[in-house]
Formats: sequence, structure tokens, C-alpha cells
Amino acid sequence: MITLSQRREVGEFRKRYRWMALFVVLVFGGIIVRVAQVQLFQRDRWSGIAQRNITKTLELPATRGVIRDLAGRVVASNRPSYDVYTTPRLLQPDDLDRIASLMDLSETEQAALQTRLDQIPLSRRSQQLELFRDIDREQLAALETHRAELPALDIVTVPLRDYPYATLGAHLIGYLNEVNAEDMKRAADPSTYHPGDRIGRSGLEKRYEALLKGSRGFRRLVVDARGKSLKGARPDSLEVEMLKQPVPGHDIQLTLDMQLMEAFDRAFRPYPSGAAVVIDIHTGAVRALYSKPVYDPNEMSSGLSTKRYAALTGDPFRPLIDKTMYETYFPGSTFKAFTALAALEDAVVDPMQRVECLGSLKIGRQKFRCNKRHEWVDLYDAVVQSCNVYFWVLAEEVGLERINRYAKAFGFAERTGIGVNSEAKGFLATREWYEEHYGQFRIGYTLNTAIGQGNTRVTVLQLALANAAIANGGSLYVPQVVQNVRSPDGSLSETFQPRLKRDVGVAPEHLDLMRRALIDVVEDESGTAYRARNKDGVRVAGKTGTAQVVSRKGRSEESSSAWYLDRSHGWFAGFAPADDPQVAFAVLVEHGGSGGASAAPIAMSVMQQYLGETEPKEAE
Amino acid sequence: MAIGRTIRDDFDWPLFIAVSTIALFGVLNLYSATDGGTTSDAYVQQLYWLILGFGVATLTVAIDYRHFERYGWVIYGGCILALALVFVLGRSVRGSTRWIALGEFSLQPSELMKIGLIIALAKYLHHDTKTGGRTLVDLIIPGLILALPMGLVLLQPDLGTAMVLAFIFASLMMLTQLKMRSVITLLATFVVAAPVTWFYLLKDYQKERITAFWDRLGGTQTDLLDSGWHTQQSLVAIGSGGLTGKGFTQGTQTRFRFLPDQHTDFPFPVWAEEHGFLGAVLLISLYVFLVLWSLRIASQAKDRFGAVVAVGVGAMIFWQTVVNLGMVSGLLPVVGMTLPLFSYGGSSLLSTMLGLGLLMNVSMRRFSH
Repeated sequence: MITLSQRREVGEFRKRYRWMALFVVLVFGGIIVRVAQVQLFQRDRWSGIAQRNITKTLELPATRGVIRDLAGRVVASNRPSYDVYTTPRLLQPDDLDRIASLMDLSETEQAALQTRLDQIPLSRRSQQLELFRDIDREQLAALETHRAELPALDIVTVPLRDYPYATLGAHLIGYLNEVNAEDMKRAADPSTYHPGDRIGRSGLEKRYEALLKGSRGFRRLVVDARGKSLKGARPDSLEVEMLKQPVPGHDIQLTLDMQLMEAFDRAFRPYPSGAAVVIDIHTGAVRALYSKPVYDPNEMSSGLSTKRYAALTGDPFRPLIDKTMYETYFPGSTFKAFTALAALEDAVVDPMQRVECLGSLKIGRQKFRCNKRHEWVDLYDAVVQSCNVYFWVLAEEVGLERINRYAKAFGFAERTGIGVNSEAKGFLATREWYEEHYGQFRIGYTLNTAIGQGNTRVTVLQLALANAAIANGGSLYVPQVVQNVRSPDGSLSETFQPRLKRDVGVAPEHLDLMRRALIDVVEDESGTAYRARNKDGVRVAGKTGTAQVVSRKGRSEESSSAWYLDRSHGWFAGFAPADDPQVAFAVLVEHGGSGGASAAPIAMSVMQQYLGETEPKEAE
Repeated sequence: MAIGRTIRDDFDWPLFIAVSTIALFGVLNLYSATDGGTTSDAYVQQLYWLILGFGVATLTVAIDYRHFERYGWVIYGGCILALALVFVLGRSVRGSTRWIALGEFSLQPSELMKIGLIIALAKYLHHDTKTGGRTLVDLIIPGLILALPMGLVLLQPDLGTAMVLAFIFASLMMLTQLKMRSVITLLATFVVAAPVTWFYLLKDYQKERITAFWDRLGGTQTDLLDSGWHTQQSLVAIGSGGLTGKGFTQGTQTRFRFLPDQHTDFPFPVWAEEHGFLGAVLLISLYVFLVLWSLRIASQAKDRFGAVVAVGVGAMIFWQTVVNLGMVSGLLPVVGMTLPLFSYGGSSLLSTMLGLGLLMNVSMRRFSH
């Protein structure tokens, strides 16, 4: 049946077969090369995506450590906040309407949410995104009821920082707010902070961030392409950890006594602004660090509006400034104690020698006024009655250099090293400084320095510590606000010992003389704080002071509070109880006028409450 | 003639074994791909189709292929008619009309059309015994034979099948000796036709797939949610399989439904994810063997009809395989294209088995008189 011609015709194709076979082999070879590239060389990359595809990671936030005062009262803790997260890739088209109705969102809120979701780049659509923070109970109930129908949503319980004492001690305790790009860059481990996390932004929250923070954990779920969780379906090829428990932060116990802080808050009620510090004279532990007015840390945490921030910065009583350590003041007559100690120690004067005060003193062409005519006073009387004339005469003998030297020994013009927030250094002007700034040195500068005016600037904290040194026999301590740190399991992980900075180098008998003088400031009829004394109560010793206020620039003339802001500041600094000192203090009433009338009553009343009925409570 | 004698002496065992192995792998793969899902009995259906397919192939082998030559135009006409019927009786799935319901089953006439076209072109070339160089004029009649079914398929629209028809046609034409001038003219025509096709003939979703493909080649991943997403997930499946794979029924891309159409157009990623590079090479090698073997059968065919049919069937398998693998491995844009013998789907399997039956037929009758 087959013919020769047919054979020949088939033969026409023959030479093509080889070319076709070659083509087939080359094309398939190309495909195999491609498959090898994908499976052998890019394997890790694709495996990574495969694992991320089927897992959904839920973060388990760590509970931040609790801060307590010395008696164990909670100062900063956490309360649950219910936050709503979503994985944008899993959102169904009509989910948003559903969410909006359950959350009771307005149309504009819903539109804003839609815009926000639309802007998420594809690369981040599989990552969780925070939709709402701290939803209320009704919203929570509504979402929980319909949770099964909204697999794209997750409700996460996040501990939110809570400050039970609100504003009290806020500068010291600090606050948290959201991490920024810089914080995240600074962290040693880049996974420490995620966007939306909170970080200690000031105070102890910032100082002890690393200890308080704890470390986050996570739970991974196996999910299918629609985000449905598949329980128990864990493929062998999944090489990732599925659960990591969060580690809570360390707890911190302060040396602060919040009851004492509250006592100050009550005592300061008549005044819009001021500050007070109480130091344990045996350890340097800070018992109170009170500054008024203050911002609300709860408000700072949630992020301030521009308007609110402007209101805070524009407030003439400066709530953002910590007046215990960030602001400096003239020490006024509280400084006389240190001028007197300088004179005694270097034996430049006989303390028994009397000077006649006629109410003023003329030196050269200048006439210096005393607060009254004190008649004949010796050093002791001059401290008790705060006689300027005596100290002017004394100053001429002692000289600026000695005054500065002893002031330095007592810790003035030097940072205390408290270690929290920024601290002002204060200032003591030297002869050279006066020459440089005022052209030439005049004796008047020394006289002003002797009575705490001049250019001497101190912080309330420095003055309290210096008085502690007078009270304890010459030990200047580094102030401490943290007593101990506890691990999450409750065991002590660190206890802070008192840190002695130096001995001020003043003979005990001179300190003793000064202590007696400070007692008589209150107890002698001629004393400047006599009228503020606790009758039949806790005996308090201290030195009054009235510091002039430098007119601040840029203050508006028409301001209704202008007259008040030009008033002097009132000081009272000393120790208590008088015969067996336990604590030293410094109280400053801004624009309170005379220290004996403003600051001293506050100190008396607080010390009465603090030391009056019972001994101060110790922790444990 | 006595068929019994032929089976014993001339049965093409290598062809049978290669085909059976691929089909068996396909069933296993289908079992894995659908395990635990709502279509977990798909592999049983596929087995039924396979048995039916072997039955059809056996019938095809039993009839001397010269009868197919004799009734070539009738077969071709029947296929065209079936294609036309789609527009009258057809069932629409995802915007294109490709199916005719036959009782419980649905049939895809465009699949049968591939065989119809091969037979029609083989018959034409069998009788057109010109052995010298061919000019464009010589392509007019075969061109029309292609154009009619291709037009109908494009109307459905089914771009993938239309492409296969065109590729089969081109392959068969290359078998004859085209003049270089003709080849150049054809290429020039293509250059002109491509933009026309792009702007006037392609649907938006088809353009989108091609755009996504070019974007990926250029390294800019635009939209992972649509066309690009398919290829991306396919690459994730293949790539994460590594050298030895995750193991049978252990593919996460498959089990957690990240692969689109995993049992029809994307069975290869399932296979590659679970059996790794070694499994992938084994499977691809079987296809290489199958195509080369069909060329061998063609070279031994006793007449032009047999040779053209063998090359046509080989070309059909080759192009479908290449386009499918190229698509799932991100070398080609996503077009609907099944992997012959391996994909789930009755019509596709039947037409492939029909073609392979013809191939076996040609192989077994290479020496008969």
C-alpha cells in the first residue's frame, strides 16, 4: 500500500526533526535552570515568605514595672487598655462599615480610617496595625460579640501607665509617650521598640526605662490565606518559635514618702507656686521633692495638643519646670549660715564680738539697708535675727574667696548627682567673674554675697542637702530617690546604699553652734521664724530667707499678675526634730514675700504632720 | 488486519510508561492539593477521567489512523460545530464561555479542537506533496484552517487555547520548508499585529496579567493582590520546596490555599513544593522524553499524515507544558493553560489522551502494510 513517493515525501521532514529536538531540549533546559534558580539559590527568600504567609504574630506586651514610695504606696502602675489591631491584608471590603457601626464611629472618622488604611504600602499589609487605642467598655462589648465575624481584627489588652497620685511628684516620676524614630535607632537591639510603643520620656520613667520596661513576648498562630486560624495544624517546615512569654519589668521602690508629699501639697494651697525638698540627713535619701504647679503625667502620656502645650509653656508659674532642681534662686538670708560657718572655721572673727546695727551701713559712697535696727549683735544673734549689718561687717573680714570656698564645700554651684532629669548647677561668682562682667571688683559684691544676694544662685535641693550636712555633723550626701529594685519574681535585685559625697570640713563645735542658732531662729522671741513655731509640737530649726526677684524680661505690663510676680521669694531651710535631727528641708514659696511669714509656716506644719504623731514609717 | 498481533509486537512501551507515570503523579499531586479541602474527592474523579481517557486512547489505537485521514474534514467540521455550539448552549465561568454540559459532565470543545486542527492540517499536508521551498501563498489554505477555530476560541474568550492552536500550526509549518523570505514577512506581520491585538483584541484582565509580568521582569512589583500575587505565591511554593521538598501533603502554600487554581493551572508548584528540585526535574524529564519520543515516532512514520500527526501531538504537549511551566515559574505572563496529563480537568485529559492514542497509533503502524 505504501508507495515510494510517500517515503520520499516523509523524508522531506526528516532533516527538521533534529533541529526540533534541539529546540525542545534547549527550552526545557532553560526551564530547569529557572527552577534551579528559584529552588536552590533563592530558597531562603521564598521559604521566609512561605513561613510568614502562614503565621500571624500577636504581640504579648510586657507589664511595665510598678513604682512605689517608701511605704509601698503605688506611684506608677498599669491598668488594662483594650486596643484594636487589624491585619490589613485580611480586611474584607465590607468589614470597615461593620467596624464603624460597632465602634459607633462618625462618618468623618470612618472616612479618615479608610484613608489611613488605603495608605498602607503593600509590603506592610501583612503586619498588624493599631486601629483604636483604649476603647471604652461598650465598644469592647460590641466588638467581642461580633468577633467571630471579623477575623481581621484582634483585640489586644495592653497595660497602660497610670499615676494614682496624678500631679504629685510628676517631675520626678516622669511620664511615657510614643517612641520616635530616634529612640528606635538608639536602642541596642532594633526589635526593642516597635512603632506605637511607649518609652519613658522623663523623670524616673526615663532614667530606669531599661529596668522598668521588661521585654515583649509573642504568640504565633498558623493561618490560611484568608487569615483563618488553624488550630493544631503546625507544618513541619515551620521553623519559627510559636510562643514567647513576655517578661515583666522590674519594680522600683522610692525613698520618697507620698504622705509627706501630700502634706506639702496641702500646706502650699495658699500659694500658686513653690518647691520643697526633704532629705534624710543620715543617708541622703530624698523624702520629698515637691514642685508646684505641675503638669498631669496622664495628660503628657496621651500626647499634648499644640494648644495645651502653649498653655503650659505660657503659664507664668511654669508648670513644666521642676523648681526643686532645674530652677535656681538667690538663697537670700538662708545663705548667712554658710557665711557664718566660713568665718568661724577660718577663725577670722571672734563669735563673741559684737557689732552695732543702726539699720543701715555706709561703705564708701554706698548705703546698705538692714531689715531693721538690731542694736548690738554677735554672730549668734545675727543668725537668729538675720542682721544684714553684722554680716556686712563680717564679710569685709572674711572676703569673697572664703565664702565661696565653704559654699562649695557644702555643695553649692555643683550638681548634686541625683541622677534624674536635668539638674541646674547653680552659681557662685568669683572676683575674676565680677572683674570680667562688671569691669572692676567692688567690696559691695562681697557684702551682697554674704547675705545671699549678689550673683549666688542655688537650687532648693542643694540648700536642703547643705542643711542636712549642718544637721548631721558635716556629711554631704549624694541625694538618692530610689531605695531598691525588685525583679519580677519579687526578689531584691539591687539595693542602693547611701553615697557620701564628702565631709564639708567644718569643726563639730562650729556646726553645733550653728544648729543652736538655727533652733533659736524659731524658738527665741527675737528669731525671724518665731511666729511660725509649732507651739508644743515638733521642734523645728531653720533659717529664713527672702530672695529678691530679678524682673524677668518680656513680661507683659498689663498682665494682672505682674505685681505678684515682682514679689520676693520666701525661704525656710533647716532640719527637724531640733534636738535629734532626722531630716533636713528647704522650702521655697515663690513670690511669698518674707520667708518667716510664708515658707516657715509651711515647713512647720508639714514637719508637725510628718514627725508629730509617730515615727516616719520605713518600708517593710 | 489483526490488532492482537500488533499489540504484542509493536506496542510502544516507553510511550505508555511515560504517559502512565505522569498521569499517576498527577493523581497523587491532586490528592495532596485537595487533601482536607472541600474538593478532597477530586482525585477520585480524576481517576475516572483517566480510565475514560485510557479507554478513548485504546479505541483510537484500535482504528488505523488512515481512517482519521479519510474522515479528516468530518472530524474538523465536527469540532468547529461543537465550538460554535458553545455560544448557544455554553455555560459561563468567570466571564468566558467555554463549556458545554453533557449530562453530569461538562465538556470543553476547545480542547477537542486541538486534535481536530492537528488532523485537519495533517490531512492537508498529506495531500500537498510539494517538497520545495514554500512561499506565503502556500500558507493561505492551512492559515484558513487555523483561523476559523482560533477565531471562535478567541471569541469565548480563551487566550491560552488560541495560543496553543497557533503554536501547533506554527510548529507544523516549520516541518515543511518555508522560504526565508516568508519567515521574515511573517515576523514583520507579527510586529504589526501585536499592538493591534493589544489595543483592540485583548480584554482588560488579560492586559493586566501581561503588565504585571513585565513589571516583575523589570523588578518593580506593583500589585501583589491580583495577577502578580498568583505568580508570587507560585514562586513561594516552588522556591520554598528547596532540593528535596517539604514532603507529600506537607506543602504549606498548598494546604493553606495561597496557590490560585492549584489543581488546574498551578499543579506544578504543588509538586515542586512537596518534592523539591529533584521531583521537579524528574517530572520535567518525563515531559522532555515524551516530546522527543513523539519526534522519534514522527521520523519513523510511514507516511506524511502519520508524521504530521505525531509532530502535532508532540507540539501540543510541548507548548502547553512550556507555557504552563513558564507561567508558574514567573518566566511568562499568567494565561490559563493546563499542564497536560498532570492538571485536574476532564476535557483537557481526554483531548490529551486522544492525541496520545493517535501517537501510539502512528507508532504501532510504522511498519504495517
